Amino acid sequence: MIPAPTAENPFAGDNSGIQKRETIARWALRVGSYIVVLTTAAIMLHIFAKGAPVAFQSKWPFVNTQFLTELPATLHVIEGKQGQHIETDVNGADAAKQELGDNFASEKTISYSGGGILGPIVGTALLVIVSVSVALFLGVCCAIYLSEYAKKGKFLETVRLAILNLAGVPSVVFGLFGLGAFVLTAPVFVDVPAERSVFAIPLGFTTLSFQGWDTCVLSGGFTLAFVILPVIITASEQCLQAVPQGFRETSMALGATRWQTIRYSVLPFATPGILTSSILGIARAAGETAPIMFTAALAFKDKLPWQKDLPPLPADASIFAHWEQSVSRFLGIFTESVQALPYHIYTLAAKIPQNEYAERAQYGSVFVFLVLVASLAAASIWLRIHLRKKYKW
Amino acid sequence: MVTPAPKQPVVHVCDMDFCYGSSRALQDISLEVEYHRVTALIGPSGCGKSTLLRCINRMNDRVTGARVTKGEVKVKGKNIHDADVDLTQLRKQVGMVFQKSNPFPKSIYENVAYGLRIHGEKRKNVLDEAVERSLRQAALWDDLKDRLAANALALSGGQQQRLCIARAIATLPDVLLMDEPCSALDPISTLKIEELMHQLAQNYTIVIVTHNMQQAVRVSDYTAFLHLGKLVEFAPTEELFTNPHEKLTEAYLRGTFS
Repeated sequence: MIPAPTAENPFAGDNSGIQKRETIARWALRVGSYIVVLTTAAIMLHIFAKGAPVAFQSKWPFVNTQFLTELPATLHVIEGKQGQHIETDVNGADAAKQELGDNFASEKTISYSGGGILGPIVGTALLVIVSVSVALFLGVCCAIYLSEYAKKGKFLETVRLAILNLAGVPSVVFGLFGLGAFVLTAPVFVDVPAERSVFAIPLGFTTLSFQGWDTCVLSGGFTLAFVILPVIITASEQCLQAVPQGFRETSMALGATRWQTIRYSVLPFATPGILTSSILGIARAAGETAPIMFTAALAFKDKLPWQKDLPPLPADASIFAHWEQSVSRFLGIFTESVQALPYHIYTLAAKIPQNEYAERAQYGSVFVFLVLVASLAAASIWLRIHLRKKYKW
Repeated sequence: MVTPAPKQPVVHVCDMDFCYGSSRALQDISLEVEYHRVTALIGPSGCGKSTLLRCINRMNDRVTGARVTKGEVKVKGKNIHDADVDLTQLRKQVGMVFQKSNPFPKSIYENVAYGLRIHGEKRKNVLDEAVERSLRQAALWDDLKDRLAANALALSGGQQQRLCIARAIATLPDVLLMDEPCSALDPISTLKIEELMHQLAQNYTIVIVTHNMQQAVRVSDYTAFLHLGKLVEFAPTEELFTNPHEKLTEAYLRGTFS
């Protein structure tokens, strides 16, 4: 029976049905959120539990420097007849075998699972530097043009749509695009064009040959730049739009040109946001695997990009005396192919036989990678808070 | 009252039509603004008084499809739509203060020096002098001289608007356009700005848009009444408010319509 309002309780009524629905809705939403949080926590804790022991140690300096400063190597596991168990690298393996002598029972080799992951860390860092520089330059230029110069209309709508579509392109397609565009056809200055050159323009003193950059940091970095370009353009445009129109009007009314207005009273106030979003772009670029598979990454490389068999510069002269060589050697870093963290993780997970010895490198790499990405995200948050305080209106 | 005005008006709008795309916002406007006088533009919302104001320094150029379709606007005797008019020079000499006080989130000093800096002034002593002169003229110097490095956003609303006036007069414009400069301010701040305008009129020619008729009476020497894009009446303020010639003006002043 529905209670009727009375003089004592003019607000009497039956709302049990409404209450029931209210409860169901609340619980459905709550359970959904819990599932998300629990799944994330499970993944993180699992990686932390298995990966932290690889990256950290109980003795000073508490960080496993070997894992962070050595190149990946093949792990040799040697077992003796009396139950000896030795894990070592290729050099230690021979010595261990000799020491065991007749006691030697078996030897197992596990690729990439020994040593550390310095190569992939360095490679990812180089790729990120190149991709973010390129993407920031192109992205900010594009965002400024779209937000400040372009007339509203069909053209602008088309460009926006194109950018949105670019964000939806699968990353493996970007990888293939990079292979075609940068690895195989990008222009270089050479004295003698290679045979595979698409076409060559003789310039007299040299030749501009469209023969590609090969698989290298530059190719991979440019490819990654296009992957994160939509993110950077969209975010930069939003940051520019967030700067009050009044600043632009005032500046123009004082006689500033459009570029002066942008330079002095729009960009300074949009920069914090642009930087923040570009850091998130870094995290994205660092994590992409498919775009670098064909353009930059190697499964294994026993040298860092700057370790090349080149004659040392004459010791007698300062670095400035050979600046041309120094510069070309520095740039040479970017024309090397590298290992990269996400691709290394893929290799460890899919390309080597799985056993208990492989786990160390697998979880260690993933853990280090996650820590790097998390610290980038933290840096972006810190930067945002810090710069917001400085520039508020 | 003030220095006698030269015969030629500083702003001369001659028989001007103005359109946003295909809709005509202003029609057959003719208006002469004298040197060192305050001229008020009044009228109901949407009558085109802000548009007219923004015609004088060509701020309407920013709006797509906005253009003068007939007649011309002369400032200091020069048609400002001529091809050889440098927009940056025009705006340097025709300053503007907006409805919403919008100081840049920079220091007080940098705000006032902005106009000079973008016109290439780098000499520290020139900038210092201009900042002091502008702040003095805006009646802010005594309050702010010890904290020129402070962020302009730390100022109160009224101070911010006076800072914007200081910023606009730092480039020594001949004409100062004010687009409802007091509409966002409290009565005390409004009073201060109005006092300021009397003083500024000694050095500058002021054109002010206001929706507050008492304000027009208090600050202006001449008043123009606009209605639906047409200039209904333009006369010395006292005459217009006490003895309007047009029925429409009288009706508006009596509050019969708004």
